[in-house]
Amino acid sequence: MNRPLPLPSREAAAESDPISGLRAILEVTRPDADVELIKRTYDVAAYWHQGQKRRSGDPYITHPLAVAAILAGLGADDETLCAALLHDTTEDTAYTLAALRSEFSAGIAAMVEAFTTLDKARGRRERKVAVAQAMGAAESGGTRVLAMKLADRLHNMRTLHFLPQEKQLRKSRETLNILVPVAQQLSMDTIKSELETLASAALERNRHARKASGRLLAATAALLPAARRTRWREEWLGELHTLPTRRRRAGFVAHTLLGVLRMALSLRRPPISSGQAR
Amino acid sequence: MKRPKMTGPVQKVLRAMLKDPTVERYGLEISQQADLETGTLYPILARLEDWDWVTSRWEDPERHIRQGRPRRRYYRLTENGAEQARLALAEISLASQKRRSRLSAAQPSTLRTSL
Repeated sequence: MNRPLPLPSREAAAESDPISGLRAILEVTRPDADVELIKRTYDVAAYWHQGQKRRSGDPYITHPLAVAAILAGLGADDETLCAALLHDTTEDTAYTLAALRSEFSAGIAAMVEAFTTLDKARGRRERKVAVAQAMGAAESGGTRVLAMKLADRLHNMRTLHFLPQEKQLRKSRETLNILVPVAQQLSMDTIKSELETLASAALERNRHARKASGRLLAATAALLPAARRTRWREEWLGELHTLPTRRRRAGFVAHTLLGVLRMALSLRRPPISSGQAR
Repeated sequence: MKRPKMTGPVQKVLRAMLKDPTVERYGLEISQQADLETGTLYPILARLEDWDWVTSRWEDPERHIRQGRPRRRYYRLTENGAEQARLALAEISLASQKRRSRLSAAQPSTLRTSL
């Protein structure tokens, strides 16, 4: 490869060994880990996720790698780490479960499959059932898949600000309603409290944003004639409430503000004289 | 004849509402359909309402309560409003057609003089 300028040492290291961070964690928590298997698994996952990007603009593979790193920090076994690296391949790439089965152990394949099933459960009720089933299928199997799910969500919550507002809200609510209780039951306390903190903060941020634009609109409506003021204020606050993203709400407020002056003039003028003005 | 001033945005609002004159729409919906910012739209709606071309009402409580959101204000054209709006829009398009044909007839000579 032609590289005109020498890269900073950390990036150079990351380029020659993309899983150096994971290795460093494993040296502490799992000195006996099968690093060779893990590297090979990483290569397969990186191959299939090639060209895909996260919302942040990072290569997609950074996500499964981060999930594996979180699990490595908890001392997860080799199968879990490999399944974590592969967890989105069969769902989001052309890689098939059959191919995965032929290239990896039955244990890894089963975990990826279980994870995908859990992930596909849509809707709150269905998801709760899926989680309960995984809990029931416990021994260690189900618990490990749930741990993967928790690590997956933790990394997604850490990078939540790259998502549209609407999705941030949905993910945060789901985290508090379903995943935090799961973490509690599995006694994964550090994950539980970080999930809780991240989700509550996202919801709180949103409440503030809504309140601020709401106050501005309410103040704006005060420019209108008293008789009409209440109606328009309620109408605008209602519309504002339904707008999904902060950007669209800001746009709504800005444009409505611009229109209000015009509106104040035309509403203060009795309709008949406004007709004869032309 | 008393009639609201038919500015470009007013025409856009009326065209959007005339697509399905009996359908009730809320503000944001109209702003999307007419491709107008809310700041332009609401003053127009207020004026059209003053002229009784448009009427509005609050949404039925059951619906917005069931969906867990604030109630919406729904707008629709009145019968008279729809009729007047169609007439006004037709006049405008007729006038612009005339202008266009006059323009294209005038073009050769304008071209010559400018050469």
